[in-house]
Amino acid sequence: MGKGKPFLEVLASAIHEDFRFPFLEIFAFLYALGTFVLASFTVSIYTQTATNEAVAYAVTTSLLSGSLIVFVLLIFKNVAYGLGSDLEKGIIQTYFSYPLRRRGILTAKLLSALGVSLLLFLGIQISALYILAPDIVLPQFSTIILTYAANLSYPLLISAIMLLMTLILRRGGIGLVVGIVLYVAMNIVSGIAFFVALATESPLMLQIISLISPSYALQYHYGGLSGVSELSSLTWNPTLSETLLYIGGSYVIVASLFVLGYIYFSRRLNL
Amino acid sequence: MSLIVAENLVKSYGRVVAVESLSLTLDEGSVTGLIGPNGAGKTTTIKMILGLLKPDKGVVKVFGQNPWDNTAIRSMIGVVYEKAFFPAHQKTLEYLQRVCRIFGVSESRAMEVLELVNLQEASDRQIKALSAGMLQKFAIAHALVHSPKLIVADEMTANLDPQARSELLDVVLQLNRDEKAAFLLSSHILPELSRVCDSVAIINRGKVWAFGKLSELYEKYAVGIIRVSTDSPYELEAEIKKLNYVKEVNSDIRGISVTVVEGKEDELYEDVPKLAKKIKAKILGIETGSASMQELYRLAITAKERK
Repeated sequence: MGKGKPFLEVLASAIHEDFRFPFLEIFAFLYALGTFVLASFTVSIYTQTATNEAVAYAVTTSLLSGSLIVFVLLIFKNVAYGLGSDLEKGIIQTYFSYPLRRRGILTAKLLSALGVSLLLFLGIQISALYILAPDIVLPQFSTIILTYAANLSYPLLISAIMLLMTLILRRGGIGLVVGIVLYVAMNIVSGIAFFVALATESPLMLQIISLISPSYALQYHYGGLSGVSELSSLTWNPTLSETLLYIGGSYVIVASLFVLGYIYFSRRLNL
Repeated sequence: MSLIVAENLVKSYGRVVAVESLSLTLDEGSVTGLIGPNGAGKTTTIKMILGLLKPDKGVVKVFGQNPWDNTAIRSMIGVVYEKAFFPAHQKTLEYLQRVCRIFGVSESRAMEVLELVNLQEASDRQIKALSAGMLQKFAIAHALVHSPKLIVADEMTANLDPQARSELLDVVLQLNRDEKAAFLLSSHILPELSRVCDSVAIINRGKVWAFGKLSELYEKYAVGIIRVSTDSPYELEAEIKKLNYVKEVNSDIRGISVTVVEGKEDELYEDVPKLAKKIKAKILGIETGSASMQELYRLAITAKERK
């Protein structure tokens, strides 16, 4: 018997539970709403005269700002609530009676929780970009990919933390609360970091924040610190290679946390 | 060949020692009962056997292999947990067909196992719509899909009505007889275990207090027990207790179990009718060596505690 079938069946079962009616329909609607209606075009105002890359970045950021929160809500629901309740209720225990390695079961659960959500998010976003700004999408595809990579890093970091908490505590409630707190806290912390950077005239705090959430590094790469020259002599305009380093570094952190989750699930998780 | 070999298993939850130096074996084709009070360590033992818990110390082998994250042995084991949970929003037949595909068996097997546990009428129902008893039956059907050589069941009949229990025990006997399936059954409902088990492990405070073939255990612990069936057990018990060669008396609604000093069995046979006549009780039968599983369990525990 091949190893593929048990994996695909467990994945299908997990998708069936995570996206049962009406969740898929509601979230697809919210994604579309977030992309086409709640898009914020404020970012593009001061980049109107910028380079083609900066325009592509601005349009992409505008478009994803509304639906990124939908993606975050969906991974909160699937990772903390979905996996947490599967652990609490014993469904994972049932999966453990099937001829599939523990890591295969976790991969199936994560593909359902994150992969499907991500596909839905990117599918609608890229389609929207193609419909709304076809002249930007094709020539600046790498900028668009970079923008998504930078913006998705922090939600993925939160989901990795939620995964670890859910596995260790074997319930999703606390992981869910921590996820929400972390998501809200980043907006506050980034604001504080900005003012600390202005006050100390050192970009160190912004650099630290960018390592966790590289969308800030990308924002400063394309937009710089517009409008702060009167307040402070702080300048931070990371180059593309530096920005790529921040994005790469953040994904290393995310990947490390997921690997920790896999190690715990495969070797330590007692049910 | 031994399907399960557990040697000196130890498992603690913080400061609480759930299983302490527990050893047992389960042979091919046997039906072994794991009996003991709540908190004795039965579920922890089963979880270690199934590879859900890692023992702190000791070794467990199932089909000669370490069960932790071992996919090779999962195709040979059927599992029924005390609390069965399945993806709630899927239909029973559809989910079992999925399980058939997981194990690489024909999808028609799904309906067969539903029929085996009398659940064919619920084939179109969502799992969440099943009652506790039906869910338990579904869990059993789920465990039988791939015709495993070994079925491990923790309190398999806990949520079932008497008729369903009886039918299920028939299924156990049938699978054991026809397909040579071995069973490890944990239960606190002792009479039903005595119906199907050929071996028993009595677990108390995380240790095996007695383990062996039922016949051997009866011989070891239930010697000198005489069962008196009567219509007035409690009144007759009071009279029997006065006899100086009687070591222990226990009565229930149907009769009295009397343990006497060795060699005094005949005297009891003579005295009981006299005592019954005195209190106008009716004797329905007197039998030697017919202790119930409940009594066997109690006697084994008492004997161990005395040691």
